[in-house]
Amino acid sequence: MAAASAPPAAERLVRISRIAGRYLVFDIDDVVYIRRCHGVCAVLTGTMPQNPTQNLFLGLPVELQAEEAKLLVDMGVAYVADELADHLARLSDPAFEPARRTYREHLRQLRKTAQQAFEEEKARVAALHADKRGGKKNKESKKKQPAGVEAASAEPESSAAASGPAAQAETPSLFDDDVPPPPPPQPQKQKPSILPGVTPSTSFPLTATPPSPASSAPADSIPASVAPSYALLTYLNSRGYYTTPGLRFGGRLSVYPGDPFRYHAHYLANGYGWDEPVPMLDVVTSGRLGTAVKKGFLFGAERPKAAAEEGEEGGKDKGENVRVFCVEWAGM
Amino acid sequence: MAFYPDHLDSLAKVVSHNLAYQHDWKWVERLSAPPPGASPLIKRPLLYGLPPKRLYVHPDEQIDLIKAEKARGEPILQEPEVEWVLPLHLSEKWSPAQFADVFDAIDAVPPGRGGEAPDGADPGPGSDAPWRLWRGPKRGKRILMATVQDDSTVTYYWIFDGVVKPRQN
Repeated sequence: MAAASAPPAAERLVRISRIAGRYLVFDIDDVVYIRRCHGVCAVLTGTMPQNPTQNLFLGLPVELQAEEAKLLVDMGVAYVADELADHLARLSDPAFEPARRTYREHLRQLRKTAQQAFEEEKARVAALHADKRGGKKNKESKKKQPAGVEAASAEPESSAAASGPAAQAETPSLFDDDVPPPPPPQPQKQKPSILPGVTPSTSFPLTATPPSPASSAPADSIPASVAPSYALLTYLNSRGYYTTPGLRFGGRLSVYPGDPFRYHAHYLANGYGWDEPVPMLDVVTSGRLGTAVKKGFLFGAERPKAAAEEGEEGGKDKGENVRVFCVEWAGM
Repeated sequence: MAFYPDHLDSLAKVVSHNLAYQHDWKWVERLSAPPPGASPLIKRPLLYGLPPKRLYVHPDEQIDLIKAEKARGEPILQEPEVEWVLPLHLSEKWSPAQFADVFDAIDAVPPGRGGEAPDGADPGPGSDAPWRLWRGPKRGKRILMATVQDDSTVTYYWIFDGVVKPRQN
């Protein structure tokens, strides 16, 4: 899969784009990485171009809950980029000119790859049809029309073959972008009409380096209202549980003992403040609902720092002070 | 009995009667005072009693039981265990801090009745078999939460300390 090309986990820094107050991940490798290595599944929210009229199956980008974004940032595996400010800064800054050039080259390369795949597929189909027709020729000789189609399809192929060497000649220039590559304008002038339009999911080479702290959103910009469930999420994540948003089962989080592809959720979870009064009716109804869908209702809260030992301020902040309880119907 | 306010006293009484007469518990007692060392937040009578049959079997315990039964070739009798009961009214609001205080104040196994030995205090031969470790003082803390409604209907929920696997998954 795409993960094969992903860099080793240690040096990977996931870019979380903050757009209109939502936390989105656009890179499929990042999505795979945070799910596999950090148990953050989040939700695919993008429409599938192949089938835009349904919303059962969705594609990139992945939307993170605010506390999930904060968790990843705090673990040091991601940074939050304010996408609008960041792009504007980069596009207007002349110092980013090499990056821009790389980006344009990258786009062109994507289109070439797509074109090549398209041509290969077409040639394969044409060959298949030619075979079929060759077999049937003895029986029916009146099918003349496909021959015309083949002739028509053969024509772009030859033009693609002509553009092939040019494409290969240009490939190295992608990697030595420091030297301004003199792209031969001649072949490009005639190509734009044939290269297919490709919409990449990320503006990757443009954003290869994390933004300066000024343009990146601070990690503590997470709204305060999610603080209780952030503590709970930290606690569960540090114990290897996977989480997805829990609205489906009436909680803040659905908690899985492993990847949701393999396991059913064991808990629906809510986080509360340590001294937040929780209506008993909520506990009872959530407990009953959880039992009805074969889960437990898990709720938890973080003991405030002041009440706990103030002294130990080390890196052991993985939900050490979080207390959780599980509720189930007693069946009597 | 003067230790607790009247309304909590009668709340405990409702639950106690419900357990004894509707659910046929063998006996129900109450702590006359909060456990020693309990936080002052617990201003509530805690009940404990012996149900007619075993109320809770942890899913992993069930696995151990099935393994043990297969090895022995005979079924293992499930003795009921003494359980804690926490009377609550449905209109109350409890914070996680209060639940934590209750759990901190209790032992896993309630005290025995009168001179009776606490449940699980009879380590016979083979008492370290995996299926036995789920009972007695080694079991996780759990409380039967009795929620009383205005029409004196009582519904019961388990509340466990920590992350405990649900029974049905």
